[in-house]
Amino acid sequence: MTETLLNGVTQALNAALEMALHTVPKILGMVIIVAVGWVIAMIVKIILRHALNLVKFNVLCDNVGASQMLTKADLPPPTELLARLVFWVTWATFLMLGISTLGLVVLQEQISRFFLYVPQIFVALLILLIGILLANFVSRAVLLGMVNANVPSARLLSNAVRMFIVILTVAMALEHIALAKSVVLIAFSIAFGAVMLGLAIAFGLGGRDVARRFLERQFTEDTKGEKDEISHL
Amino acid sequence: MAEESVLSDELVHQLIAVGEVDILVGVPTYNNGKTAGQVVRAVQVGFLKYFPRERAVLINPDGGSTDGTPDAVRNATIRDYRTLMTSQPLRTLHRISIPYHGIPGRENALRTIFAAADLLRAKACAVVSADLQSVTPEWIEGLIRPIYKEQFDLVTPLYHRHKFDGLLINNVVSPMVRSVYGSHVKEPLGGEFGLSGRLARSFLEANLKGGQNVRSGVDLRLTTSAIRDGYRLCQAFLGPRIHAPAYSEPDLTALLQQVVGTLFECLEADQSYWLSRTGSNAVPVFGFEYEMSLEPVRVNRERMLQVFRTGVREFASILEPILSPDTLAEVQRLGSLDDVDIRFPDELWVKTVYEFASSYHHSAIHRDHLLKALIPLYLGRTSSFVAENLEIDSREFEQRLDALCLEYERLKPYLMERWTLTR
Amino acid sequence: MTSDSSPWYKQAIFYELHVKAYNDSNADGIGDFRGLLTKLDYLHDLGIDCIWLLPMYPSPLRDDGYDISDYYNIHTSYGTLNDFREFLDAAHARGIRVITELVLNHTSDQHPWFQEARSSRDNPRRHWYVWSDSDDRYRNARIIFLDTERSNWAWDPISKTYYWHRFFSHQPDLNFDNPDVREEMWNVMKFWLDMGVDGFRVDAVPYLIEREGTSCENLPETHEVLKFLRSRLDEHFKDKVLLAEANQRPTDVRAYFGNGDEFHMAFHFPLMPRVFMAVELEDRKPLVEIMEQTPPIPETCQWATFLRNHDELTLEMISQDERDYMYDMYAKDPTARINLGIRRRLSPLMANDRRRVELLNGLLLSFPGCPIIYYGDEIGMGDNIFLGDRNGVRTPMQWSGGWNTGFSTADPEQLFLPVISNPLYGFQAINVESQRRSEHSLLSWVKKILRLWKSTAVFSSGTIEFVNPANHRILAYLRQKDEETVLVVNNLSRTAQAVELDLRRFKGAIPIEMFGGNPFPRVGDLPYLLTLGPYHFFWFLLRRF
Repeated sequence: MTETLLNGVTQALNAALEMALHTVPKILGMVIIVAVGWVIAMIVKIILRHALNLVKFNVLCDNVGASQMLTKADLPPPTELLARLVFWVTWATFLMLGISTLGLVVLQEQISRFFLYVPQIFVALLILLIGILLANFVSRAVLLGMVNANVPSARLLSNAVRMFIVILTVAMALEHIALAKSVVLIAFSIAFGAVMLGLAIAFGLGGRDVARRFLERQFTEDTKGEKDEISHL
Repeated sequence: MAEESVLSDELVHQLIAVGEVDILVGVPTYNNGKTAGQVVRAVQVGFLKYFPRERAVLINPDGGSTDGTPDAVRNATIRDYRTLMTSQPLRTLHRISIPYHGIPGRENALRTIFAAADLLRAKACAVVSADLQSVTPEWIEGLIRPIYKEQFDLVTPLYHRHKFDGLLINNVVSPMVRSVYGSHVKEPLGGEFGLSGRLARSFLEANLKGGQNVRSGVDLRLTTSAIRDGYRLCQAFLGPRIHAPAYSEPDLTALLQQVVGTLFECLEADQSYWLSRTGSNAVPVFGFEYEMSLEPVRVNRERMLQVFRTGVREFASILEPILSPDTLAEVQRLGSLDDVDIRFPDELWVKTVYEFASSYHHSAIHRDHLLKALIPLYLGRTSSFVAENLEIDSREFEQRLDALCLEYERLKPYLMERWTLTR
Repeated sequence: MTSDSSPWYKQAIFYELHVKAYNDSNADGIGDFRGLLTKLDYLHDLGIDCIWLLPMYPSPLRDDGYDISDYYNIHTSYGTLNDFREFLDAAHARGIRVITELVLNHTSDQHPWFQEARSSRDNPRRHWYVWSDSDDRYRNARIIFLDTERSNWAWDPISKTYYWHRFFSHQPDLNFDNPDVREEMWNVMKFWLDMGVDGFRVDAVPYLIEREGTSCENLPETHEVLKFLRSRLDEHFKDKVLLAEANQRPTDVRAYFGNGDEFHMAFHFPLMPRVFMAVELEDRKPLVEIMEQTPPIPETCQWATFLRNHDELTLEMISQDERDYMYDMYAKDPTARINLGIRRRLSPLMANDRRRVELLNGLLLSFPGCPIIYYGDEIGMGDNIFLGDRNGVRTPMQWSGGWNTGFSTADPEQLFLPVISNPLYGFQAINVESQRRSEHSLLSWVKKILRLWKSTAVFSSGTIEFVNPANHRILAYLRQKDEETVLVVNNLSRTAQAVELDLRRFKGAIPIEMFGGNPFPRVGDLPYLLTLGPYHFFWFLLRRF
């Protein structure tokens, strides 16, 4: 009886050992790949940072207001941010590659699906980024224009424009990564439509007087005072 | 050459018939039917009275008028020489009215005029606006004689203006030109000017870029590049400059962007010239200067101050990368005051302008937005300027303007410092 | 040539000369009629149809013969009446007509008539002249010889009263209000016409009559006198010509043609200074304007056109500004100026530029009217502004490079005026003999163009219509008569020019360049392009085949 037990255990241990021996090289492989990946990602990050500095990426971002936005969000400056992003993406790739060498089929499928998904995320992020930058730029232009034209609710309009563009962008980004596509789409449409309808009703029917006064304030402000006769030129 | 010439075939044809001339006067038009005829007659009488023996031609490049301006130009005649106290013309007086190539706008009209002057080897050339009611034959003498007889290259005008006419010129453009370029030109953007044939030729070669129909861009470039290239300048007193009643000045935003934008661009293009210069030189003046009382102008200071306050408040984040912390703080302090009579001191204003100029150069923010952000500050300054100078007479006013210019000159090192600052 | 129905003076080339300056036959230093006779062949060869003789009557010569002391004789220096008759016959034999001066307005104060008139107030000839006790009558009359006279009245010490003179004070004006004077003047005319003279150039016609409160010029009464003389002429003679000297504005000159019942011809004075002005300005404007202001004249009348004559180039009838311009351009040396005019000949005025001289002759011959060549201008003679009065343009004719330029065998010091002798215009450089020998000389060129002029009636009596191209340096016009059309194109500038002419009316015609006879491209729909060298001109006969 003890012999069978011993045999059984020995066999089991042997089997486990064999399996482990099979797996260890794979794990080693994975570790090496991950380690090498980390190094490569680091190098890429450094190179990218230098390259961005060379083309004065910072200045470009300052121009469009991206840097200010990031500082306000307590994020690192654009070059750094981009470099870090690229680092993580590169390393994540190698990580995935490493895991794939473990040879687990189910995992492999998931991994390849993930890999296919990554570019979409990238694009969505890009859309988001562009959208935010655009929102900033346009809202600033609107603010400048409205203030100079002495329109009282300039800030309100500017923020409204910014919000509108941001929401639009977010919706676009979400749709792109196919996250709850329909939900987002419908929710956005409803919200947008409601706002528009509300405004229409308000201005068209109920808030007629308010709307009139509002409009009067906006557009006849200048004749309350006298028109300037001076010539700047 | 594949590119389209400045001179159309028809224009070349007519110019060949005119042949070599001594004097060429250009009158660009665009829907100036009401005043163009009178201006043309004033120019013709100017030729007869002051240059009777010279070969002269009047060129009218038209930007596609739809109100019969070219006909008004062609049909303007002088009927009675005796009344005008001038004799019959010795020579054929040539007049060409023709549409010009390219986008309608001041730049292309001027290029046409300069090209014609070059082709006809004109010794002296002048440009006169067609939408003015106050052009007299003496303007022709004033703009041409210094070039034709005294070998000057550029004659800028001097107008008799109301104190508050030309606020942008008085507060920004003229003092900047004086301190940066070192030349006391009171009207660097005058719509009327005279220039020598060789200056016209060099402009043509430099192929200047200007802008839209507002006359500002090109004229300023002419003046600054003439100063930079060492041409001989002078100023001629012409008299009041009164537009036709239908005239309305373009919107301030567009105007300021055009003018100040061009000014800052000039600064950038010519930095190697002015960064090392100090001091300024007076520019000789010709002509009989006289004063007359002009109708007072209405100024809505409430509105200006409103925009100023709102602007200072809302643009805080935009102004922050443009202005220095001290200046910004001071401006914000002024913006928070409730007084109707805020005072925007000269020194603060000069620093503001200089900081804007250097931020423009460094592209601190998008350049269009930068110029737009200047507007509330400008309005604050002009409101203060108007209030301060409401009661004083013109002699004192001239002194004040001079003081402002001196302030600009005094702070020039500040501009140079900020300009050359690297991040 | 002219048809029989058209009077001879409608198409004739005139030649103005002074007998004293032309040719001296008796070695006394002064030209005479015998000498002149020997030069008739030269004139015939040149192509002259009629000689206009400057005054050759007895005279104290204080105004070069315009101060006459005997209307019925010849000055002894120039020969006898017989010499004159022989000359006249010889001229006629060669088909050359002769007209002489008729000085109506005034006589010399040495004339027997004036001697009688001034002797006493009761003398029968007293009222042959205009007398006054005060010198402030006729104040509005201008003074003509501004450089020498202060007033139109002169004091006569003999009769102790003033007499009227529009010219020199030694030339008292005749009183044409007096019918005796008129009759006598007719007798003078008849005397010479009977002898065979073909007509008169009538001097100073605007000034015959004076009336208070007027300018005393061009008065209706003056025209009456002239019509009277003309009617007598028509009664007794045929084919004679009266040529008026009236330096007036175009409309005033027109009056002297009357309705064909006054003068046959008149000088086109207003045109002349403007030709010079246009060439210097390089602008056709003065010429086009003056021709447009020239009124039409009766069918039997004709203009006499000229570039220069024995007087100064008069600038009386142009504006002050134009006068200043002319002075500045053509007479920088004040010595060249006299009496509101310039006392220079054609060639010096043109700075001896052969092309310019040719252009001006071309203009002279292509404008309507009959041309008058001033003696010596056909070879480009020079002048001497340092001789007094207008003598600078009245020097001896330059025949050769030899003794006294072939004019006289007398001593050079004896000549009536010194010969022009500077290297540029002097007789060694400019003379008939040397120019005769070359086909390319100015003289030969003038002969050619005169022949060309005579080959068609278009130039003398055709209509003139200006083609005004955009290029103001080109003066172009059409001369038309009957079926013939000639296009004249002149380049008034010293630089080469291109011009496009609107000749659509003549589409299909072939322009034949008249000097060379060569055809030019046919006229089509497009503007006709021509290029001209400096001062060049074209005469095109527009022919249809």
